[in-house]
Amino acid sequence: MRRRVGLGAIQQQKLAAEKYKDKGADIQESQLEQMTKQMDVFRIKLEEFAMKHKDDIRKNSQFRKQFQEMCAAIGVDPLATGKGFWSVLGMGDFYYELSVQVVDVCLAANHKTGGLMELDELRRRLIAARGQSPMHQEITKEDILMATKKLNIFGNGFVVHKLGKGKYIVQSIPGELSMEETNILSAASNTESGCVTQNQLMNDLGWTEYRTKCALEKVLGEGLCWIDRQTDEEPSYWFPSLFPGRNAQLVAA
Amino acid sequence: MAEFQWPWEYTFPPFFTLQPHEETRQKQFKVWTDLFLKYLKHNNKFTLGINDQTSPLFCNESINRRLSPEFIQLILEQLQQTGHAAPLDKKRQEWQVYWHTLEEYGNMVYDWIQETGQTNSICTLYEIASGENTTQLEFHDVDEAVLLNALRLLEEKGKCELIEMDGSYGAKFF
Repeated sequence: MRRRVGLGAIQQQKLAAEKYKDKGADIQESQLEQMTKQMDVFRIKLEEFAMKHKDDIRKNSQFRKQFQEMCAAIGVDPLATGKGFWSVLGMGDFYYELSVQVVDVCLAANHKTGGLMELDELRRRLIAARGQSPMHQEITKEDILMATKKLNIFGNGFVVHKLGKGKYIVQSIPGELSMEETNILSAASNTESGCVTQNQLMNDLGWTEYRTKCALEKVLGEGLCWIDRQTDEEPSYWFPSLFPGRNAQLVAA
Repeated sequence: MAEFQWPWEYTFPPFFTLQPHEETRQKQFKVWTDLFLKYLKHNNKFTLGINDQTSPLFCNESINRRLSPEFIQLILEQLQQTGHAAPLDKKRQEWQVYWHTLEEYGNMVYDWIQETGQTNSICTLYEIASGENTTQLEFHDVDEAVLLNALRLLEEKGKCELIEMDGSYGAKFF
């Protein structure tokens, strides 16, 4: 077909373009509308779900973990908002309550542990402190980690250190643990009784004698460990927080 | 008698080494002084010899750790500060150690005398410490030497008068 030329043609093209634009806007609008609707439905469903399983979430640690994972997958942090429909869950409350208990338990044991406590022990103590009902008993390590994360806002007075192999240690005294100290802790936690010697550290970590000595002096000076000079060779350094005999007594008592 | 419950620290090897860090050392002394008192109370003993190396209180053979005489001395001096121990000789080798302070013992005895209406009568030390009438009381079975010291304190306050009879003592309470 021969293309027509002239004013009419240009006007027609303009008209067509406008119509396309209108249509585009229409489609966009309806899509948005649909999305909003879907979101609403999703929200309502999620709310229904949360309401329906509120008790499960609070009581069942496995369920709570899965719910946490689900929320993480869709990019929602149920702890971040105390407002809105998340509050019906009381998720935040659960963790805030737990973190207060964590602080309680840690501070109460500070004079014995020197301010360090293994996560396992913390969990045991928490369970003992939380009362007998099954709802209070079912707390996982993940719950405690989540709760302690909330405590980070208080600065460095309360920090969780990862020691590798799924071992964590909770530090409840102010002050930063340096890399050196963390390494020593980590080395000690891998021994049976929670003690290290200078030579052992030099072997394990490949440190120089001077570095090892300084680091050990520092942990000793911060009251995190005790020195034993009645060994056959060099003195050994013991962490009460990692000493298994302490818990044996605890159970027996 | 039930077996003595050692604290967990007793199996903790560095517990037997004097700790250099101030705060840790204070904790250590606290546990040791408690342990000393509890152990002696459990065994109803009132004296300690620093050189008694066989006492399980001073050494835990299962982990091969022991307290040095100097350390024992330091612990006893701590106990002395709180009124729970006193040296018996000038070299400070033998010590008297007591669960309650002398003042507490004295008051307990005095209260008992008052309650039972025995003021102005004479009691022998044996009656107070081992008599049938005191079996339920906290100061029953107390070492007579300790009791004597406690009563001397009372005497200073004018609450009793000690009377010596053939090498043994009696007391008249006011």
